[in-house]
Amino acid sequence: MNNTHATPVVELRGVHKTYRLGEHVIRALQGVDLSVQRGELLALTGPSGSGKSTILNLAGLIDTPDSGDIVLNGQTVNALNEEARTLLRRDSLGFVFQSFNLVPVMTVAENVDYPLFIAGVAPAERKERVAAQLAAVGLQEHAHHRPDALSGGQRQRVAIARALVKRPRLVIADEPTASLDSHTADQVLDLMRERGHAEGAAFVIATHDSRLTSRCDRVVSLLDGRLQ
Amino acid sequence: MNWMWLKFAIANTLRNRRRSLVTVTIAALGTAALLLAGGFALFTYESLAEAQARESGHLVIGKPEQFVKDEETPLQYGLDDVAKLRAQLLADSQVRAVLPRVDFSGLVSNGDKSVVMIGLGVEPDAEFSVKGPFLTITGGEVLGNGAKGPEIMLGDALARNLKAKPGSSLTLLASTTEGSLNAMDVTVKAVFSTGVPEVDKRLIYTDIATSQKLLNTQKVSSLGIFLSRMEHTDGAQARIAAAAPQLKVLTWQDRAVFYRAVKDLYNRIFGALGLIIGVIVVFVVTNAMSMAIIERTREIGTLRAMGTLPRQLLRTLSLEGMVLGGGGAIVGILVALAVSIFLYTANIQMPPPPGRSVGYPLYVNIDAALYIGTALMMVSLTMLASAFVARKTVHMPVVDALAHT
Repeated sequence: MNNTHATPVVELRGVHKTYRLGEHVIRALQGVDLSVQRGELLALTGPSGSGKSTILNLAGLIDTPDSGDIVLNGQTVNALNEEARTLLRRDSLGFVFQSFNLVPVMTVAENVDYPLFIAGVAPAERKERVAAQLAAVGLQEHAHHRPDALSGGQRQRVAIARALVKRPRLVIADEPTASLDSHTADQVLDLMRERGHAEGAAFVIATHDSRLTSRCDRVVSLLDGRLQ
Repeated sequence: MNWMWLKFAIANTLRNRRRSLVTVTIAALGTAALLLAGGFALFTYESLAEAQARESGHLVIGKPEQFVKDEETPLQYGLDDVAKLRAQLLADSQVRAVLPRVDFSGLVSNGDKSVVMIGLGVEPDAEFSVKGPFLTITGGEVLGNGAKGPEIMLGDALARNLKAKPGSSLTLLASTTEGSLNAMDVTVKAVFSTGVPEVDKRLIYTDIATSQKLLNTQKVSSLGIFLSRMEHTDGAQARIAAAAPQLKVLTWQDRAVFYRAVKDLYNRIFGALGLIIGVIVVFVVTNAMSMAIIERTREIGTLRAMGTLPRQLLRTLSLEGMVLGGGGAIVGILVALAVSIFLYTANIQMPPPPGRSVGYPLYVNIDAALYIGTALMMVSLTMLASAFVARKTVHMPVVDALAHT
């Protein structure tokens, strides 16, 4: 990896996480240490229930560990309250979801613009950055279409543009190719890799798909809440 | 900045058009119902206030005892030297007319039978020109100044009772101010109806001179003061009361028992109606918003993950409720305006109220304060209701919201 000497984008140190699901207690993570470097495309693999999604939720600051530390850009975030974590997500994290999760009532451009809008970026700059992101994912002609007019692969490209428009250090991608056919999935993964390297954003991708792992910089496999 | 949230809110209301249409329609019907009921109540208050002011004058001036005590002899608490007081009152620029009146009671007889009557001595020309058409003349001609002999007008039920027609001769009997009984032959000039059967059974009108002669006095009971505008009432009362401290000045409202009773009743009826309509509208909007929010739980989770603060989502969801409630309010205002204007032109008659024999035209007032108040109430209630149902979802853990199906 380049910049291995630099501060990791995100680090998990000795993280434990347990869930209750009805009567059952699920020990999702049992002492995980993981660090993600700048610009790195990291794949998390493992069977269902191995803890991939939990790692993503913790690294994405939408969940908190029972014990252990989450360090984002050198800052320990455990003690932050919900509002501070929300603002941190707004300013330095991007998300890509399995089922795209675009807002159906917004146009493609408005979807990509939304993170900049909530971050309070000036309108002229927003317009420019949105256009640049859409051009980078090859969707500039679709800027004024609604997401439901696009194919699955195109929607996921919109989602990638939306995740990267704020120039995050880290993008969390939960099964980003699971809703796509294999050809489109390859394209989307290549796009993430290319765009991630271009923007200097690290991607943490949870995936079942072993074919994708060859295209990632590093693969970490999980089993029963432990790194293998 | 806010425009984006508003645009998003409007776009969200268009997701489920049928549901939004039903919600807006119910809010519109509620608003229209409130405005029409309120406008009708305001029209009624205004009509009754005008009727009272026309009947008694905007202000009534007399000796303080006149309004609180029962007199021992007729006109015991009447006003002397009316001419001077009238001139003084007429000097006020807002006073349009000052009409004296003599209240008396006694018997009226056709020679065969006698009936109890309540008499009003007035200045005919001034009285009927200032007050306008407040009586319906059913036979004969209205009283005028400069009659040859003593003349009266009497209520139609009283006329029927005495078998009197215009031109008939009757005798008035009353106690004088000294306590002796006086009788006076009079000619019937006209028969009238006030629209209140109870009053038409008893009331007679005559001129001041006839009534003073019958009672053997120069006094009058009180003076009715007619102002150029209804709104001048309170100011004029204060001025006149200060200028004539030995006398009491009452406003039309002090005399308007019926007006106050109707207003109290209507305020309660329409207040309860408004409350019920408000509750219905809030429930309908709440229901629509909670369905919309539950359907969008995952989207709310997505927006939260991307760094949207709960209060920003609360704001956009309240705006969405506001679009529904405000849209309904606008449509309801248009409906209420259309119905009010239609009624002004259609001249639909209401049936006579209890104790009356004539109906009245159905009008609904268009009152700016009522419209603005109702619209603001609709908007704020629907915003609050939406924020209330949204608060749980926007604060739920992002992981749970994203996992919602």
